Amino acid sequence: MDTVIDIDRLTKTYGSRRGLDDLTLSVRAGEVFGYLGPNGAGKSTTIRLLLDLIRPTSGTARVLGLDPRADAVALHRRIGYLAGDFVVDGRQKAGECLTFLGNLRGGVPAVRITALADRLELDLGARVKSLSKGNRQKVGLIQAFMHEPELLILDEPTSGLDPLVQQTFLDMVAEARADGRTVFMSSHVMSEVEAVADRVAIVREGRLVALDTVADLRARSYLRVRITFADPVPAAEFALPGVTGLRVDGTVLTCDVDGSPDALIKAAARHTVVGLRADSQDLEELFHTYYARGEAAPAA
Amino acid sequence: MTTLAGTFSRSVFSKTLYDNRRVFAVWALATALLATMYAAFYPQMTADTAATVPDAMSGFGMDDLSSAAGYLQGPVFGLLVPLLATFYGAATGARMISADEESGQLDLLLAHPVGRTRLLLQRFAALAAGAVAIAAAVLAGLLAVRTGAGLGSVGTGGFAAQAAHLALLTLLFGGLATGIGAATGKGRAPVFGITAGIGVASYAVNGFAPQIGAEWLRNLTPFHYYIGGEPLKNGFRPADAAVLAAVTLLVMAVGAWRFTRRDLAR
Repeated sequence: MDTVIDIDRLTKTYGSRRGLDDLTLSVRAGEVFGYLGPNGAGKSTTIRLLLDLIRPTSGTARVLGLDPRADAVALHRRIGYLAGDFVVDGRQKAGECLTFLGNLRGGVPAVRITALADRLELDLGARVKSLSKGNRQKVGLIQAFMHEPELLILDEPTSGLDPLVQQTFLDMVAEARADGRTVFMSSHVMSEVEAVADRVAIVREGRLVALDTVADLRARSYLRVRITFADPVPAAEFALPGVTGLRVDGTVLTCDVDGSPDALIKAAARHTVVGLRADSQDLEELFHTYYARGEAAPAA
Repeated sequence: MTTLAGTFSRSVFSKTLYDNRRVFAVWALATALLATMYAAFYPQMTADTAATVPDAMSGFGMDDLSSAAGYLQGPVFGLLVPLLATFYGAATGARMISADEESGQLDLLLAHPVGRTRLLLQRFAALAAGAVAIAAAVLAGLLAVRTGAGLGSVGTGGFAAQAAHLALLTLLFGGLATGIGAATGKGRAPVFGITAGIGVASYAVNGFAPQIGAEWLRNLTPFHYYIGGEPLKNGFRPADAAVLAAVTLLVMAVGAWRFTRRDLAR
């Protein structure tokens, strides 16, 4: 199977409010797919639709070739899910909770639970209510990973985790991919996803605004250029295709360059250049550009 | 992990029972204790005290406090026990779906390979076990004081029949609260409030209907089918019991029907 998640024109409205607007995307088998967007962009709505916790207003979704609603029970057997706000009854011990959830899946070997708990440094004997936010999130991660599902759907998996545990989590995701499993994870922070994701989708206000590989997104990021000349230069000479945010302040020129910087360099070469500095915009910044510009983003 | 917790983590049903073990035990013991205490007061009832009960209370089963069956149908099985059963049903029913939906735990359970109807039924089965425990504890308590409190004129079978009707009444309100939660996705507090409100209102209708000359209104309240046939004297009333069971089935069926079709709240 090549496509693990196939979302076609999925729309979900809550009264007059749009949770998700005509979303189409597909996730391939074996990839780590980052699903990014600010809070309230529709990430959790998408995920809850895939798990049949809510039903679409229109459009369809297929997960592992199955219908999320008609085949819910069969499908859930093959999915590991971590909710954006993972909650369980606080009175039980972490280990009891995990055993119970494992039993709902027909049983999960105890050694697998303890191995994950050791790795994430979680005390299985502690009552859930006595655990910190980060430790509770570990319980959530373990229940999502413990049955080694074909597909992991993780909603903001790293929230509350300290950096060391975040790294462990990213290792677990990488291992899942190495085993041929598929991971769909949402986040509102690019850097979390950047390290492990093969492809990234960015949603904003329920719409898809960008979908690309991390490498291509990086290539798409533009250069931030600053050139210092020996003498003042006229701005008009540098109004070139691909150049935006142009500012000439006496002898100093600053601008952003999208695509090849060739034309800019040739224009600058007509003058005496005393300094040149070009920084590529990092993905975090690019991500914020998408947030801000929404559908006006380049070639989504 | 203790073996006990492990044993009870096999299914949603047993896990719910285990998680609620203290709550269910307290309900059963408290209801049984109060019922037994009130029943034990019977020897102190004299013709005089019986006569001081206002006429307006006759519809609540307070018309014949001198006979043992009449007394038990008054303050014990006519007032205290059914209202406690109603509140148990409303409170527990509101926790079976609504409380977990409110907290977000339902998302987690239903993302597992557990169908919605199955979850609903297992939760209701746990509530039913608690209801049966209440009825059994009440029965045990009353049988324990039966002779000592001079209630010997009511047979063991009569007590058992009334306890069975009690269990069915408890299930009805438990089913109502569970069903309302499943159908609407409202939170725990409103589901409890609505169910308890319906319970108290229908109790009042059953009590006051004879005084306002609308005896027929009683047929619309579950309390009529719970005690109207006087199971203490007449034994188990299959037709009345069937009405209680049918209504429970109906509200649960409607709840399940809506539950499988709606969005989970967040």
